[in-house]
Amino acid sequence: MQVGLKIWRFNSRSGERELQEFEIDAPEEATLLDCLDIVKDRHDGSLAYRKSCRMMICGSCGMRMDGAAVLACKVRMYDVAQEGRVPVISAMGNLPIVKDLVVDMDPFWDKFKSVDPYLQPGYQEPPDGREHLIRQERMNVIHKEALCINCGCCVSECNAMESNPQFLGPQALAKAMRFVGDPRDGEKLARLEKLNGEHGIWECTRCYFCNERCPKGVDPRDAIAKLGAESMKEGIDRDMGAKHAKWFVTSAKTTGWLRETELVPKTQGVVAAIKQTKFALDLAVKGKVPPPFPPHVAKDVREARRLYDLTVRESGRRGYDGIVQGEHALARLAHGHSGDESLEEIYDRPGSFKRPYLPDDAA
Amino acid sequence: MKKVAYYKGCLASLSAKELDFATQALAPKVGLELIELESVTCCGAGDIHEAEPDYYLHLNARILSYAAAEGVDTLLTVCNVCTLNLRQANFILMGDSEVRARVNENLVSVGVPAYERDIDVRHLLWEIAEGEGYELLKSAAHRGLKGLKVAPFYGCQILRPSKINGFEDPDRPWSLERIIEACGGEAIDYPAKIKCCGFPIIQAREETALGELIQPIEQAYEAGADAIVTPCPLCHLSLDAWQSKLKAATGRDFKMPILHLSQLVGVAAGVEEAELKFKRHVVSVKPVIEKLQI
Amino acid sequence: MRAAIEAYDAGADVAVISKLHPTRSHSGAAEGGINAALGNAAEDSPEIHAFDTVKGSDYIGDQDAIELFTREAPGDILQLEHWGAFFSRRDDGKLAQRPFGAAGSPRTVYAADITGHVLIQVLYEQLVKRDIKVYEEYFAWKLVENDGRCQGVVCWDLLNGGLHTIGGKTVVLATGGQGRIYRTTTNAYACTGDGAAMAYYLGVALKDMEFMQFHPTTLYPSGILLTEGCRGEGAYLINSEGERFMKRYAPNAMELASRDVVSRSEQTEIDEGRGINGSVYLDMRHLGAERIIERLPGSRELSMTFAGVDPIYDPVPVRPGAHYHMGGVQTDNDGATELTGLYAAGEVACVSVHGANRLGGNSLMETITFGRRAGRAAAEWALSHTTIDVPASVESDAERELKSMLGFSGGERPWQIRQDLGTSMLENFGVFRREEQMAKQIEILEELKERYDHGVVIEDKGDVFNSDLTQAIELGNMIELARCMLQAGIARKESRGAHARPHDYPKRDDENFMKHSISRYTPDGPDLSYDEVRFTQYEPMERTY
Repeated sequence: MQVGLKIWRFNSRSGERELQEFEIDAPEEATLLDCLDIVKDRHDGSLAYRKSCRMMICGSCGMRMDGAAVLACKVRMYDVAQEGRVPVISAMGNLPIVKDLVVDMDPFWDKFKSVDPYLQPGYQEPPDGREHLIRQERMNVIHKEALCINCGCCVSECNAMESNPQFLGPQALAKAMRFVGDPRDGEKLARLEKLNGEHGIWECTRCYFCNERCPKGVDPRDAIAKLGAESMKEGIDRDMGAKHAKWFVTSAKTTGWLRETELVPKTQGVVAAIKQTKFALDLAVKGKVPPPFPPHVAKDVREARRLYDLTVRESGRRGYDGIVQGEHALARLAHGHSGDESLEEIYDRPGSFKRPYLPDDAA
Repeated sequence: MKKVAYYKGCLASLSAKELDFATQALAPKVGLELIELESVTCCGAGDIHEAEPDYYLHLNARILSYAAAEGVDTLLTVCNVCTLNLRQANFILMGDSEVRARVNENLVSVGVPAYERDIDVRHLLWEIAEGEGYELLKSAAHRGLKGLKVAPFYGCQILRPSKINGFEDPDRPWSLERIIEACGGEAIDYPAKIKCCGFPIIQAREETALGELIQPIEQAYEAGADAIVTPCPLCHLSLDAWQSKLKAATGRDFKMPILHLSQLVGVAAGVEEAELKFKRHVVSVKPVIEKLQI
Repeated sequence: MRAAIEAYDAGADVAVISKLHPTRSHSGAAEGGINAALGNAAEDSPEIHAFDTVKGSDYIGDQDAIELFTREAPGDILQLEHWGAFFSRRDDGKLAQRPFGAAGSPRTVYAADITGHVLIQVLYEQLVKRDIKVYEEYFAWKLVENDGRCQGVVCWDLLNGGLHTIGGKTVVLATGGQGRIYRTTTNAYACTGDGAAMAYYLGVALKDMEFMQFHPTTLYPSGILLTEGCRGEGAYLINSEGERFMKRYAPNAMELASRDVVSRSEQTEIDEGRGINGSVYLDMRHLGAERIIERLPGSRELSMTFAGVDPIYDPVPVRPGAHYHMGGVQTDNDGATELTGLYAAGEVACVSVHGANRLGGNSLMETITFGRRAGRAAAEWALSHTTIDVPASVESDAERELKSMLGFSGGERPWQIRQDLGTSMLENFGVFRREEQMAKQIEILEELKERYDHGVVIEDKGDVFNSDLTQAIELGNMIELARCMLQAGIARKESRGAHARPHDYPKRDDENFMKHSISRYTPDGPDLSYDEVRFTQYEPMERTY
């Protein structure tokens, strides 16, 4: 098939950028990476990009296709070629470009290293050097985070990092969750304290680009939410982001709806809120600051209050477990199948390959 | 008329009341009969999901349950954040019978009916961007936007994660553009239309948020937009109310009018200005009104 | 990385040199698991593990090395668990173990189907914890030999350009395999045998080069690996008639027979016309959606992405593909090579624990156990010797050679030679080997070498991320290693393990070939000799499954 590619070339020595177009002949099963190989071999040997495993596990070939970060080895080009689209290929975002499609990953690894990405063994050493005894369900808490291949696709698109490069970012935070949720780790509280810092979890802007782009289903945003939930459970809630979140809980259980006007002082503190007075007055003129009294109370709000008692007050805060409990169901969405069909139905599907010889048939 | 349960969420009940007014006025023109849910609370806005995730799930189950009790198939939302939170909770409850059983036990014990029926949570945008809603919109938008240059701003949580939202390609969305054009406006294209407005951290990390906020406003401004339209009241609040802070921080005063989706369509469909409540906006919408001479 | 950690812990000043970032190494692509006789799932012991391994090796694994390996493996696994490895668990909380091919007991510890990924992560984490220096994206080009010992490595800095000589009292090669010699392979682009070639150029012995394992389940057409864990979980292999053909070849073990046996069975089915587009089918449908999603999510994703098939609903086309090279740089049980100061561990090395055929799950274990041993031995040697002396000529010679490579024009581009190498090797030195094809391949290799030596054109003349240059160097390495493979292969007139000659020498010949082949560099091509197999207690028997 004919594949067209527009590739952003970059020469770090001269600082020149140029969009080059290539038209190549590729086999129908070709991936974007295969196409780049063809360009490099037969058209321009100076094209630079990273690659290795070509099976979505080494994390080398993160780049952008039409502005969206992808693993080049994961993108089949057949549909694109059929549509006659000529995609624009460029280096990942939020990292300095070294050459063409190669970025400098040092800032990425610096953040990775800053979350102490290794087990800090807890107090319960198992006897005789045997393994720790841990149920699989307990390990499942960090199953998604353990899938991360450090490709940088999430970092490339993170809106908060784009605005503030100091933000720890989705990859480092997902890696941090991988240890916060590990029952063998003994430094959970210290980790959470650190992650609640200026450029930690509360700087996430919830744009969900990380979840959208991650080629491995890590869902870094969910990992950040888990860290937030666990911080609250452990009483680490000084950050304005944490106070902001807590006020929603208070609102829901008292009036049902967000108590909007009180949100600023509850988040930023009274002194900081007073500094915002002029801003607030401007909004108030337009009716953007609804009076807190009489409160706008939802009907039957006692039900919501009672639910709070049941789920939080009486059974204790659940921390990250409260989010993990939904992952099983949400994983089905990613896989795209309910898997409810019986084997017979599968064999009977049109075009299905014939039923194999089964051991029981011999009798 | 399609009967839908209407969940207006916090902002449309409070600081963005204009959204509620405009939606109520618009609904019959696009074939929607709104059954407003009364016994409902905040969806948690992602904050309760992060603070008390189990409570989040119960609150949303309760909203879904009351929607199901109205006998409708669709729960209509007018906010990105409500849409994502409710859809996510619905997938969790429908996809895991153990979780659902435990949540239902709690619901029943406080007097809420158990949630068993799969309710489709849909944003108003999706209802009017295709199918019958779109056809009605086209015929209702008789007043037109007279070539008004409108920059669509989607925001985040109506597009991503697409496995939960799933209405359109999160990188090449088309619904707002289609609606703008059906209303006789000209849709402006610009890269930041699918990015974040910074709202979730606008109080806790204002500088970082403003760095995000400036992008859509600046890009729309430079592309010559007369106004930005958004399907999300939170995006609306930051885009509209925080422009003054952008001015203070950068010295640039964009004076970019920000419209709710319901208002934009409402204008085209001839809904009275009094019902659209433009006066409640911080950045004046006057230039738009003058251009349309309404 | 395991060697570096051990050397660091032994007190040595250590650095890692890697042409990829360490987490991008191909061990991360290992899916199914890692073997250690923990006995968590059923009764097991290092002795049974050793027996299985010796038998799997078709009796030319060195038995002292295998015994040591199976004895130390459980401790190494438990250490990884203590370092935080994310392994799958049993209901009782112990490490889960799954059955693997030709194993007498379910002994393969695993993490769903991302075991290698999990190990790479935990090792890199431990590297970061110790703050061990890593020369990332440094392409190791030449070993420095001076005064009769190895004293360092000449590297090309990929990211910034420039040659650098990094001196070391000892050097441990852990450069992996050379599957890229073949056109369809499970191996990454990086698996080009650089370490083995560097040692070979210095005259260090390579051992058992003819034994290349073909994995039975690589995806058609890409050659991407589907783990043996699929069959461990109960998947069937079926031919175009829907028949589970393994019942005719290995009636007891069926799909879980040894890899060489299964690959040959598949190739026979394909050759006899019961294949589908040169493939057979791996059928998982009967496992059900739940089990596939829970236990084999990665395999499902790979099938859907690269073959367009969802294994829940349809069988997946697979065929044998080059997977693992049993041979490599000859080492003793501590990873030491013939050359003082040079060590090797993992796929680049040949101790040999795999002999003529490796068992699934033994390679990851080998990297850990022998990586540790080599790291320890290299550190101890370094700590008891004092000087490093790298002559200035080393770097200037390399500079000159580099200049001439970059300056060459008027020849062909490397990809053509690379493609001819891969295609011809697959055709003439694949699952089944014939005398005349091997003879022909030897000629082809000479021709390819001539073309390569004549000069290839490197279009990228720059310093920054010049992968055009490194890929050309890799090609030269692969041609040299292929020559060793062919020479050893044609001389081994028997069928043993992965070396199958059904048409002229269908049987194992213990009398003449119960020995290791040894390949050494000479300017006129490889020189072949033989070495003894080390026995302890396991007597050769006929291999049936």
